[in-house]
Amino acid sequence: MMEVCGSSNVTLREFGCEQSLLSRPDGSASFIQGDTSVMAGVYGPAEVKVSKEIYDRATLEVLIQPKVGLPSVRERSQEQCVRETCEASLLLSLHPRSSLTLILQVLHDDGSLLSCFLNAACMALMDAGLPMSCLFCGVTCAIDADGQIITDPTAAQEKQSRALMTFAIDSTEHRVMMSSTKGSFSVYELQQCIAVSQKASEKIFQFYRDSVRRRYSKTL
Amino acid sequence: MAGLELLSDQGYRLDGRKASELRKVQARMGVFAQADGSAYLEQGNTKALAVVYGPHEIRGSRSRALHDRAVINCQYSMATFSTAERKRRPHGDRKSTEMSLHLKQTFEAAVMTQLYPRSQIDIYVKILQSDGGNYSVCVNAATLAVIDAGIPMRDYVCACTVGFVDETPLADLCYAEESGGVSSLALALLPRGGQIALLQMDARLHQDHLETLIEAAMTACKGVSKVLDEVVRQHLQEVSVLTGE
Amino acid sequence: MKDTPLCNCERDFLLKAIEEKKRLDGRQTYDYRKIKITFGTDYGCCFVDLGKTRVMAQVSCELVAPKDNRPNEGIMFFNVELSPMASPAFEQGRQSELSVKLNRQLERCLRNSKCIDTESLCVVSGEKVWQIRVDVHMLNHDGNLMDAVSIAAITALCHFRRPDVGIQGDEVTVYSPEERDPIPLSIYHMPISVSFSFFQEGTYLLVDPCEREERVMDGLLMIAMNKHREICSIQSSGGIMLLKEQVMRCSKIASVKVSEITELINKALENDKKARKAGGRCGFAESMPQERITALKKDKTAVEMTDVSERANEIVQKAEALPQTVPSPVVPVPGVGQVGQGPQNTWGLDEEEDEEDSDEEQEEQVTKMEEEHSENKEESRGGEVVEISDSEEEEVVILHPEKPDRTPKNTGSTSHQKVAASSKKRTKK
Repeated sequence: MMEVCGSSNVTLREFGCEQSLLSRPDGSASFIQGDTSVMAGVYGPAEVKVSKEIYDRATLEVLIQPKVGLPSVRERSQEQCVRETCEASLLLSLHPRSSLTLILQVLHDDGSLLSCFLNAACMALMDAGLPMSCLFCGVTCAIDADGQIITDPTAAQEKQSRALMTFAIDSTEHRVMMSSTKGSFSVYELQQCIAVSQKASEKIFQFYRDSVRRRYSKTL
Repeated sequence: MAGLELLSDQGYRLDGRKASELRKVQARMGVFAQADGSAYLEQGNTKALAVVYGPHEIRGSRSRALHDRAVINCQYSMATFSTAERKRRPHGDRKSTEMSLHLKQTFEAAVMTQLYPRSQIDIYVKILQSDGGNYSVCVNAATLAVIDAGIPMRDYVCACTVGFVDETPLADLCYAEESGGVSSLALALLPRGGQIALLQMDARLHQDHLETLIEAAMTACKGVSKVLDEVVRQHLQEVSVLTGE
Repeated sequence: MKDTPLCNCERDFLLKAIEEKKRLDGRQTYDYRKIKITFGTDYGCCFVDLGKTRVMAQVSCELVAPKDNRPNEGIMFFNVELSPMASPAFEQGRQSELSVKLNRQLERCLRNSKCIDTESLCVVSGEKVWQIRVDVHMLNHDGNLMDAVSIAAITALCHFRRPDVGIQGDEVTVYSPEERDPIPLSIYHMPISVSFSFFQEGTYLLVDPCEREERVMDGLLMIAMNKHREICSIQSSGGIMLLKEQVMRCSKIASVKVSEITELINKALENDKKARKAGGRCGFAESMPQERITALKKDKTAVEMTDVSERANEIVQKAEALPQTVPSPVVPVPGVGQVGQGPQNTWGLDEEEDEEDSDEEQEEQVTKMEEEHSENKEESRGGEVVEISDSEEEEVVILHPEKPDRTPKNTGSTSHQKVAASSKKRTKK
């Protein structure tokens, strides 16, 4: 039986978020986890090209722009992850034959990039006022060489880890919406990481609530 | 190219010209029968061929049509054999696209597009031999081609490239002078009103010298316009003789 | 996505206002919007805010072989990305006219003016030189992209530090930032571009047009200068007819603006240098404004782990009930594993089945059907028999430990993957 992870490693780095920082997109947010920062912009619901339209739902398109160079296959697979998560939580059938475009720009990558994308995406969708059935957040866990579980790893920690997992957790029932893993690990470790992520996601959802409450404090 | 004196003490340049002398300009209009207008122009060793089609109905997407003006579509390309080293990619690269945009902008200012709403005028220019001043030669050749096509213009569009060496402006740069790191200014002018249709400059030049340089460019362009005028009149004479007037 | 078109009444309103020397945001004719320059965590990353126009520049370097006709000069590469985030009119991947224009103008402004000493970028003449790559991303388009791009590019280049290189005979060693301090690029001068927009056939002129003003303008004149009053580049665009006097007047205005902006850049660089020396954290995170209502920050928190292990154990135990029924795999041929019998073969060929799935479980997994996955977990908590073995999402790979040729096809760069992951279920028994 594996030992319980040392509680000292299970911390989340400091995070920060700013909403509505860009004037052109309908919704925008920047999310910072430690040194990793990502900016997200949402346009929609807007006109959609006839070739891409779906008769009963909105078409969601996700674009990830890396900092240096052109987008490659890695960005495409990350786009896929984010898109599936968003499609599961957005109420797309309220806007048929429209397009929703979500653009994510990497500002600095210091580990846990995919979960930062997910968090920024959720905040931007909230800022745009798009109807969602639940909020979602991303949590990354890494299992290092000693078998300890580290949440929200930095790039250096990611490099030395034996396995890296990112989970998208929804806000209503804390279930796993999407998982993306790299490396080898046991069933037990997987379940542990999922349980750890679910616990960590509570903190992130509380942060969402706090920031939205702060934002609307003047109007409410 | 170190050690080559672009301007000698007696005031002579590499090819023996004086500072404000233009290269020899030779031009012919109406070189292609099937195009609406065409012209071939040589300025020193730089040779360019311009062809104009139009005004005709908008080809391709109707959405590009402007309700009150004609759309001018320019394409600039260099022949693969035009430069010392064979050009791998004659069109589609950034420099050619930029040149095409500049040509389009120049002619949009000069051609009276309001007379042809919802139509398109195509101008194609090809450089057959490049020896400096590519943009200017293209503009001059295209002007003649547009006149040959009978499309009304506000004035001749003449262009010239000038450089600045040893406090003296050199008119009509050749390739050796251009690549010698000289600050060069390309100017497209409508000579009668003295209006500048396009102004482009690279490399460092002190602000105080800007006025002298622009002046020199304008004088050179006026010189070119005289030559182009001659060519047009001569061509008209030949054509009228042939049609028996 | 299409951009909303400009209606005629808005156009008339803007033109009328310009005739009366009034601008939408109350600026004077020659006023610039507020410029804010911040830096990122690593060297060479810079954010520029010109009013609401937002631009990010990142400089990176790489050792490459030099060009044939210039063997002792480094290479500069510029790339301006019009991100779809900046405006709904920008499309991903398409090289629109505006993108070509901005790229070429930036190249001419910085490369042809020789603001960077490319000869100092040479490491081994003819073999290895530094290639400096400047990527500029547009984040928000509110007019005057060219100026913002030029300020961001030159500031990022001034901020950038390249790794130190040591040459000993034939060997070239590149030192990491921890071993030796990285060295800045040698920059001769800072060219900054100033844009002038013309209206009503050149009668009216505005400096630093915002997005609405750009839509109704006739044309643009871009003058790039440095603070020594040397003009680095002039470009007129948009089919306007200029007079010589207008050009001279613009160049005088530009020289004033450029000296102001250069001072601003130098101040920002100074502040950043001081902050880094003092050891403080710098970067986008730090520059996020705290006093805004739309921003919130939270410190490092520990996550409560009280019942995590219990929950995990529960789940695994319930799942563990099953493995006894799973037969151990059969490895008939190297590279092929077989678990269970599988359905009846309808091809009429040999009984050998390739369990290709087991290969994929070692790869980077992106599981989509998460309803299925989470349902499994729900069921396991409920105590029912869970068919975990059928689920393809399980990371259990049963491989013959002596078959090392089954290397995982990972796109990631992690090197810790060990293929010899023997059955974890087996060890638990």
